[in-house]
Amino acid sequence: MKIRRILPAIIGIAQGVIGVLFGVLAIMLVLNLIEVQTVFNVPPELLSLYLLILGLFSVFSVISGLFLMREGWK
Amino acid sequence: MANERKLGLFSAIIMGLSGAIGFEIFVLLNYAYFDLAGPSMISALFFCGIINLITMLSYSELSAAIPEVGGEYTYTKVAFGGIISFMAGCLRWLASVFGGALAAIVFVNQLGVLFSVFDLPIQLVLVNASLLIVGLVVILIFLSVRGVNEATTLIVGAFLAIFVIFLAMSLGYTLAPQNIVPEASGNSIVVFFAATAYLFPMFVGMRALVAGAPQIKNPGKNVPRALMITTVLLTVVYFAVAFVAVGVVPVTTPITAESPPLLNLAAKEIMGPIGAILFALAGMFASVSSVGTAMSVQSSILGGMSRDGYLPNVLLKAHKRFGTRYVAIIASSLFVIFFGTSGAVVFLGYAASFGSLLVFALVNLSLIQLRRKMPRLDRPFKAPLYPLTPLAGIVMSVLLLTFPVILRDVNAESALLSSLGMVAIVLVTYYLRMVKREVDFNRLRVAVGGISFGAGVTLIVLTPVIAPPSLSIIMVLVGLVSIVAGILNILVSTRKID
Repeated sequence: MKIRRILPAIIGIAQGVIGVLFGVLAIMLVLNLIEVQTVFNVPPELLSLYLLILGLFSVFSVISGLFLMREGWK
Repeated sequence: MANERKLGLFSAIIMGLSGAIGFEIFVLLNYAYFDLAGPSMISALFFCGIINLITMLSYSELSAAIPEVGGEYTYTKVAFGGIISFMAGCLRWLASVFGGALAAIVFVNQLGVLFSVFDLPIQLVLVNASLLIVGLVVILIFLSVRGVNEATTLIVGAFLAIFVIFLAMSLGYTLAPQNIVPEASGNSIVVFFAATAYLFPMFVGMRALVAGAPQIKNPGKNVPRALMITTVLLTVVYFAVAFVAVGVVPVTTPITAESPPLLNLAAKEIMGPIGAILFALAGMFASVSSVGTAMSVQSSILGGMSRDGYLPNVLLKAHKRFGTRYVAIIASSLFVIFFGTSGAVVFLGYAASFGSLLVFALVNLSLIQLRRKMPRLDRPFKAPLYPLTPLAGIVMSVLLLTFPVILRDVNAESALLSSLGMVAIVLVTYYLRMVKREVDFNRLRVAVGGISFGAGVTLIVLTPVIAPPSLSIIMVLVGLVSIVAGILNILVSTRKID
């Protein structure tokens, strides 16, 4: 029974962290912190699209991660 | 209220031509010629025509059997209902938004060309491009809310006349474009198909004919015939115009951000300054008309989906005086402004194409489903060689979606990922709107799990294509976590729903 709780919690935390990191990356891209646009070779005209994709992935990862964490701690 | 059927075959053909002949030819030929396929772009156009013809056979059968308003949305609704029709409606709406944004950009480009012909300061247009796009869309919102119809028939007539003059005057030239057939090497074939995908939006506008099927007399005969004739006419006209343009403008011509598009260059070469002015004006009129049409299509799609309960009722709200759905028009226009001011021409071209290709695949699937589900349905026209025709349409659509990504075209990758992201939003919206309260939460979890799973698979599949080798392992790990999380969410929630 324990594995049924532990696994979702671990995966949930991992996915939540990934979601947050993608969100942070999106913010870094907007502000171009540490020249991140150059590091990832992002063309300026496509910046808004990268943000859209990163934002979507981030939001869905955090939501999905939270669902799993809730399952683990219930 | 029943629709009055008063249009004959000729009017139906004009309807198809006016939907298809537009701003796209002014913008899409450029990238396909100078950056992708070179002279073999001409063959790519021909191939576009063939693919379009195959799917139009499916459209013909469906529009003759179900001659009701709504087009693709209605066909998928009758065939599958639920999520598939919702997705078809959303993708059609998205393709229209991307097309409208592209048309707004073309308007500004052509205005710039007109400025350059008269030696006016072109920088004035380029610097204020975003402002001009917002201004154009706001004016068209006003006109759309007032219910002003654009004179599309006049525009298509003027267009055909200009093309005929252009082709007639080119007879004095010795045109012999080289390499119009792609070489039999792997890269040439990939580039050829990528160009085909990119040029595809030049044809898809003829679906306007399907949307107008309820107004056409004897739709069982006239709609299929008009679709076939329009496809052949379009292919011939585009092929001839591109052949001449490629013949007079070498692929080695130096192109800068301020250079006029291929068609304008060719017109200036063949017809002189008059040609440059004529084509710039034609491009401007076509783009204004396309933005207007896109707004009307978008409000109609959003209205239809709201009526069926998929979207909030506020989108159905009609203007007290003019009776138009002003909330839907304004909501769609905000997206057009957002994407239009980005100025990302190539991205928008691919995005409009991908949205349309996905809809084409769904329409072909609907044909197969309806043949199985409703074998006795009255079908005044039947797609020949079934099931090969719809299967070929599906395979072609999927292939065209993948080739630009294989080519590692960053615009195509972004367009595909954005489309997938939008599909994810569509799924969540659907579940949020349509599930019953008592199982809301778990169904939402299934949806989020599905998105997570899909995003994970997409990430792993695209990793070799989009990620630098140093990031590959991280991307694959992120993809695996998403896949496992998706499966867990789906398994747990499905058990609870059951």
